[in-house]
Amino acid sequence: MKALLETLISPGSFDIIINIGFIFGKIVIVVSVVMLAVALAPYFERKVIGHMQVRMGPMRVGPHGILQPIADALKLFFKEDIIPAESDKVIFFIAPVITMFGAMTSLAVIPWWKSFAVADINIGILFIFAMSSVGAYGIVMAGWASNSKFSFLGGLRASAQIISYEVAMGMSLVGVMLLSGSLNLSEIAAAQAGEGLFFFKNWYIFPQIIAAGVFFLSMLAETNRTPFDMPEAESELVAGYFTEYSGFRFSLFFVGEYIAMFVMAAIGVICFLGGWSGPGPSIVPLQLLWFVLKLCFVMFLFFWIRATVPRYRYDQLMAIGWKVLIPLALLNIVITATLKII
Amino acid sequence: MEFKKIVKTILFWEILQGMWLTLSNLPPWNAVTRQYPKEPRYSDPGFRGLHALVRNPDTGREKCIACGLCAAVCPSRCITIHTGEDDKGEKIAEEYEVDVLRCVFCAFCVEACPVGAIVLSEHYEYSGYSRGDFYFNKERLLDNWDTFFPGEKGKWYMDNIWKHPNADDYKAHDDQAVFHGIQKEEKQ
Repeated sequence: MKALLETLISPGSFDIIINIGFIFGKIVIVVSVVMLAVALAPYFERKVIGHMQVRMGPMRVGPHGILQPIADALKLFFKEDIIPAESDKVIFFIAPVITMFGAMTSLAVIPWWKSFAVADINIGILFIFAMSSVGAYGIVMAGWASNSKFSFLGGLRASAQIISYEVAMGMSLVGVMLLSGSLNLSEIAAAQAGEGLFFFKNWYIFPQIIAAGVFFLSMLAETNRTPFDMPEAESELVAGYFTEYSGFRFSLFFVGEYIAMFVMAAIGVICFLGGWSGPGPSIVPLQLLWFVLKLCFVMFLFFWIRATVPRYRYDQLMAIGWKVLIPLALLNIVITATLKII
Repeated sequence: MEFKKIVKTILFWEILQGMWLTLSNLPPWNAVTRQYPKEPRYSDPGFRGLHALVRNPDTGREKCIACGLCAAVCPSRCITIHTGEDDKGEKIAEEYEVDVLRCVFCAFCVEACPVGAIVLSEHYEYSGYSRGDFYFNKERLLDNWDTFFPGEKGKWYMDNIWKHPNADDYKAHDDQAVFHGIQKEEKQ
């Protein structure tokens, strides 16, 4: 404590305070923009799925239902917060916070353009894996603490699914790490930069097409999206691990899930679709534009797949994870490493 | 497994086909939704909606002669008639009540009526806060006639849609189910 105080009043402390202020500013910007995006994502999802099913989606709240997210948020905010009598109160309270924390912390390492990340650390990918595992803890704890059979089954399924797909996902990105020689997300994205007409020729999706496929499937499973939304399979488990949650705690889970989707989509964009690289000069607004466009495209893929594919059976899901995706990812590592040495 | 099938499995060919189908539905103009209260759905002529008692334009009273056939034929027993006498000693319906919540809208009462005194209107958007709102007495049924069959519309309806099978110029369609089994030949 004394050392900290001495540092703060030393001549160099002004720089430190400026730095901390800078980081806080970045955090505020990133969090507020992402929360706005998370508010709009369910609206976008409902619209996309609605139109794919020849419906219209939300239409009543504001022109073309554009104010629907606000109405939903208000509704969730004023709902009664029900806590099951037999639940484990402490774990019940902190479970959604952990999920939300895991998802939001991952945002810190995502480079939104060439030199903008809240924390441009050298182990960005590992950090995101770690944080998504922490988020899975929240899900498991929620399933356990609710003391409901549906929640419990949902939590069990989530733990098994997320653990097994994390393996495939981590290994699918090893190829990208080998090619770029870095775990830093900014450097991975920078390694794929390209100019001119064939700006996409360096994107890792071409040399790493197997890894991209494996990553995409495990990304769906990791974020509990259809066709791998077993933990919240509404036709069998009511709502899965958050069956007993209501009001604001439910919305924490909801927001955490959508942020996790954004994070996974961002990882996919950075590792396979070239991050912020795109046609045109390499200036900040264009970089951000390309990044956001690619992010939107991957999010659209999430929704598109949800509108198309039915849910897999649980044993099929595990079989795909262990018998198909992990061997494929290993094969991809071997091929990439061999080619790299040659 | 033949080679083609293996390739299709690896490429998720069938899932891709499905995704193409959903994508081709995506353009907003493909949506078939009718935004109901804003775009009302108009019922076709002859739609069997809310009941109405026909008002006789000559007397200004109901056409009903209180014979009770409609109440007798009604499968859900939702018509109640209290008969009485008027000044001239003729039988009239003092009260004519339809419990719309029980009605099954079969229109048997319309076919049973010998004078064409009860019809079903095209109106279907009725709602209320109590059961009493759906218990229509004679005055409300006559009001329904004035409201939903104004002017020539009532005459057109009685001529074309609810023409009584016993009428002289009645001609049913060949494939029309007729309550009385009457399928008169067209008059030459």
